Amino acid sequence: MAEETNYEIFEVDQHITAHSRYFAGKMGSLFYRTLRDEKKIMGVNCKKCNKVFWPPRSTCGRCFSQLAESDMVEIGPQGTLETFTLITYSEPVHPRTAPFIYGIIKLDGADTGMAHIIDEVDFDDLSIGMRMEPVFEEERKGTILDIRHFKPVS
Amino acid sequence: MGSDVHEEELISIPITVDVPYRFAAGKYLGKFLVELRDNGTFYGIRCPVCKRVQMPPRIVCAQCHVKNTEWVKLGNEGTLVGFTIMYIPLTDPTTGKPHDPPFTYGSVKLDGSDSVLDHLVNIEPDVSKIWVGMRMRVVLRPKGERIGDLSDILYFEPLEGQVQPE
Repeated sequence: MAEETNYEIFEVDQHITAHSRYFAGKMGSLFYRTLRDEKKIMGVNCKKCNKVFWPPRSTCGRCFSQLAESDMVEIGPQGTLETFTLITYSEPVHPRTAPFIYGIIKLDGADTGMAHIIDEVDFDDLSIGMRMEPVFEEERKGTILDIRHFKPVS
Repeated sequence: MGSDVHEEELISIPITVDVPYRFAAGKYLGKFLVELRDNGTFYGIRCPVCKRVQMPPRIVCAQCHVKNTEWVKLGNEGTLVGFTIMYIPLTDPTTGKPHDPPFTYGSVKLDGSDSVLDHLVNIEPDVSKIWVGMRMRVVLRPKGERIGDLSDILYFEPLEGQVQPE
């Protein structure tokens, strides 16, 4: 019986949307409040390790010492570019549409880097070790995007 | 100093992760979905060894590890084998949007199939008015509006005139 039908190659589009809420906690809330209200970036200083970490948290990831809000110190706002990459495709999770640049900036006074968007510069003009500074949003909401992006120090 | 610690504003940030994706249905599921879309019919596939009918169709019987080849046309009616009333939103995988609770969700064994199909049941979410063994029909989107995924099934609907057994 030649009843065989040739079926088209078939693809199915599906969609997952996951809603969640990130609770910043005691240390994170102080970080976001300070960022929003004073345009200041805070890290946390572990006295035992003699290191300043970003993002601030209540336990030292290196020696497990208990850290407090009183251990938080201002870092930056300027810093040094440690690495960077060009994003060439857009994804819903990205805050911007491609092309744009992500970089890791080690803020002055910190021992760890911060990943953020880099703008107001051509990709080809960037180099590791470059001095960077943050550009803050006018209307800040208490999120990491209160820093709109980093740009090279002019 | 320590007494006003609870007065501090605590920050929380809503995050929505949106993941659209696409999968290749393959030969068997492709036929199943095309038949559902174009003709509104359900096809299962029978295992040559254990004779059970799987729906949605798989190339290999997961129990006997042999290739399935015998297509079986299934009915658009079936029997409810389990149900639940959802009081929390359930994300629809075809749209990513949640359904508003409460609603009824049921497993229906279509006539001729040994597998069950899980979907919404268009019935008042009241456990005293639903029972296992209830006869159901599948309600599909109208032909022409069907796109070939499980959202083409709108819901199950109980057949009229059924009386709940004592």
